[in-house]
Amino acid sequence: MGDKFLLEAQDVSKYFGGVHACEGVSLGVREGSIHAVIGPNGAGKTTFFNALSGFYYPDHGRVFFGGEEITRMPNWRRIERGMSRTFQTPSIFPELTVYDNVMLGVRSKAGIAFHARTPSGEQQAAHERRIDELLGFVNLVRFKERPVAELSHGSQRLCEIAMSLSTEPRLVLLDEPMAGLAESETERIISVIRGLHDRLGLTVLFVEHNMRVVLGLADRITVLDRGRILAEGTPSEIAANEAVRDAYLGKEVLEHV
Amino acid sequence: MLEHVGPQLFNGLVLGAFYAIVAIGLSLIMNLTGTINMAHGSFMTLAGYLAFSMIARGTNFWFAFLVAPLLAVLVAIIVERTLIRPLYGRDPVYSLLLTFGLSLIAEELFHVVWGANTLPFAPPAALGGTLALGFMNFPVYRLFIVIVLVFAFGLLGLFLYRTRFGLRLRAAVQDSEMIAALGTNTQLLYTINFGLGILLAGIAGVLAVGLLGLNPTTGNTLLMPAFVTVIIGGMGSLYGSLVAGVLIGVATSLMTLYVPAASEVVIYILMAVVLTIRPRGLFGEEGLFG
Amino acid sequence: MNRRLARVTPGRIVALAALVLLALEPTLAPYIHVDVTIVSAALLFTIAALSANLLLGYTGLPPFGNAAFFGLGAYGCALSIKYLNVHFFTATIFGMLAALLGALIVAPFLVRRRGIYFGLLSIAFGQVFYFIAYRFTDVTGGEDGMAVTRPYLAISSFTLKETAFYYLSLVVFILSILAFKAIVQSPFGRTLVAIRQNEVRVRYLGLDSNRFVFVAILISALFAGLSGALSALLNGFIAPLQLDWHQSGDFVLATILGGSGTVWGPLIGSIIFVIGRDIISTITPYWQIFIGALFVACVLGFPRGILGTILARFGAAPLSNEPEEANWTQSPAIAVDHHG
Repeated sequence: MGDKFLLEAQDVSKYFGGVHACEGVSLGVREGSIHAVIGPNGAGKTTFFNALSGFYYPDHGRVFFGGEEITRMPNWRRIERGMSRTFQTPSIFPELTVYDNVMLGVRSKAGIAFHARTPSGEQQAAHERRIDELLGFVNLVRFKERPVAELSHGSQRLCEIAMSLSTEPRLVLLDEPMAGLAESETERIISVIRGLHDRLGLTVLFVEHNMRVVLGLADRITVLDRGRILAEGTPSEIAANEAVRDAYLGKEVLEHV
Repeated sequence: MLEHVGPQLFNGLVLGAFYAIVAIGLSLIMNLTGTINMAHGSFMTLAGYLAFSMIARGTNFWFAFLVAPLLAVLVAIIVERTLIRPLYGRDPVYSLLLTFGLSLIAEELFHVVWGANTLPFAPPAALGGTLALGFMNFPVYRLFIVIVLVFAFGLLGLFLYRTRFGLRLRAAVQDSEMIAALGTNTQLLYTINFGLGILLAGIAGVLAVGLLGLNPTTGNTLLMPAFVTVIIGGMGSLYGSLVAGVLIGVATSLMTLYVPAASEVVIYILMAVVLTIRPRGLFGEEGLFG
Repeated sequence: MNRRLARVTPGRIVALAALVLLALEPTLAPYIHVDVTIVSAALLFTIAALSANLLLGYTGLPPFGNAAFFGLGAYGCALSIKYLNVHFFTATIFGMLAALLGALIVAPFLVRRRGIYFGLLSIAFGQVFYFIAYRFTDVTGGEDGMAVTRPYLAISSFTLKETAFYYLSLVVFILSILAFKAIVQSPFGRTLVAIRQNEVRVRYLGLDSNRFVFVAILISALFAGLSGALSALLNGFIAPLQLDWHQSGDFVLATILGGSGTVWGPLIGSIIFVIGRDIISTITPYWQIFIGALFVACVLGFPRGILGTILARFGAAPLSNEPEEANWTQSPAIAVDHHG
């Protein structure tokens, strides 16, 4: 799978009522890499993510996953293919416990979510081991029985990440994983994201504002501005890019990096 | 048969105008606050009964015709402030259930006060008879209805698109939070919006009783078709309600001519057809409730 | 598994007590002035309320077209007796099949809608069936409705008299509620609950939510059809008005009043509604005002319903997670101390 892209977007455009939210965005994510998409507010990052993940379909352009075209594939099927995603506001089941939140994805992967029959004792035990494993990865096992609504924002984010892992994806899309987090919680998320790559061998594509985080975490960075690609390259290339500095980064920010 | 088509088309237009005005009122209320007003028909009937009572006491028809809807609006404002306001922001199912309950209460209250029988409500002599215009004879009362409703649509359009208040209303439909942040009193806006929707219902109510007769369920017979009109026209589009109303009014009328047994269901068939081809309705906007 | 069945919880004790009471109702009837027929009606009404509950309380969809399935069940049953001369149970099955057929026709249109679109569309389709029943006077008796003669039971040649019919209703009710419980506690049912809370996330866990909604509609129709068929047999009569969406509103009210999203809520709500309506209508002809007021009071003051409020008061798990339904979080493996 060396130089083939796991996820590839070709010339993706999406318009809302005549305004282009993103236009002609092409991007390739190599398997096993951590790839970041950055840009100022309104740059079209989330729109692009939504098109990639099937939240809606692009008006123009194509999307490929693992070599297969998925441009108009229903979102739930993309998950079956090995994609998964988190949202800017943690998308979880607010009335359930952490355990129940993760359980659904486990059952989905096991193919029994549609079943009328309750799983056998053995099956149930296997599922529980899997849930413990997933929660262990994000260090939430101690909150297993708690209603997820009681958790801090950062812990809810971690729960969501555990949920997105429950379907055994190859690629994880993280939409602004640090959004709304306190400084202390940010470190935890960063280490989890790194763990996704280092420990689980997953490919990660994430949207982020925080330059420091991005430059430290990503192998490759794509910069969007006003819906179009401004630049793409390695962290050092991006940091040195004049256009990026002017459009997005203040010089002071870069000097601190 | 052909000489019947003309009058039926006209009847369809009249019916369609009714559907449209009721649908637009419903739509206004739904678009801004997500409230599904199952009591809309009750307000129509209320206006009809109030007009009836005023005329029975010797009031001039024209005066009653103007005042009755306004009285209905008064009641509506009280209802909105006390019962409906607590439901803003919640699942629309709740407003549906609450207003449904109100419609049950209203129907029974009408029964108590005015009796179950259909009351005689004749338009004044000035509006009686027919008018020969060109190739057809038009019943004057129906002409009157069309003129009043067209006038009402026109005024509404002017209000929404040419006044500052109308601008605020339309902006609030797009983004209530923003408007509130800019200093508009959104609660007041919601109340006025509700009142506006009911005003349209009241006008329709007073006009309808001359056509349909006045009994506790008069307004409700127009309610479901009005909802279907909103769906066909597309939620969020007032223009869609207008077009769809006329469309199904004409369709129903023509169907009464050719296949009377199906005339009640033709609107639902139309709805199924439109939704299959265009799931958002004819002029529907993406992402609204659907 | 065995531990779960044997567990004694307060909820189960109350449920058992309720069932004992219901079983004794024929003997109690003269003393409490509530006769078997009305309780039969309440039990059958509960089955229809359960159908509404599945969509509303568990899947999060407004089920205002269920009267149509109820009516299809009733007419399916009645027409099969009239034209095919079938026996009691077969007629009931015919009713349920008619409801299922109706659901299969309507569900494809409904399945992609949510919220008010779903609600209004289901009302609209319900109205189509209502008008059909109204217009086909030759077949259905039109506005005046049609009489239903209670046929023989297939196994013997006697017809059920009132008390026997009551016990049949009770048995059917118990079976229905057991079935309902099994469904909502199954993985399928848990997914419905998840759909209600966050459909997007369900899809992003690899599940086609529309498939689940489709099946939920079918199951809901079956319950409503069963209720309709047996109600027709109970009353010996059906009329198009039973298909009208106002009837759906009654089912929804009973659900919300008792507690939507709970298994036993609809029973509480149905008993209060059916018996209450009966009592009030003997006091005043204007009982509809009370029904309407009940809607308003319920929505404003009591959105969780009676059972829901009780469960919340006792700190039980949130609405869609009943105390006894803790089987996801209470199984042998959790005995291991995982704190810290």
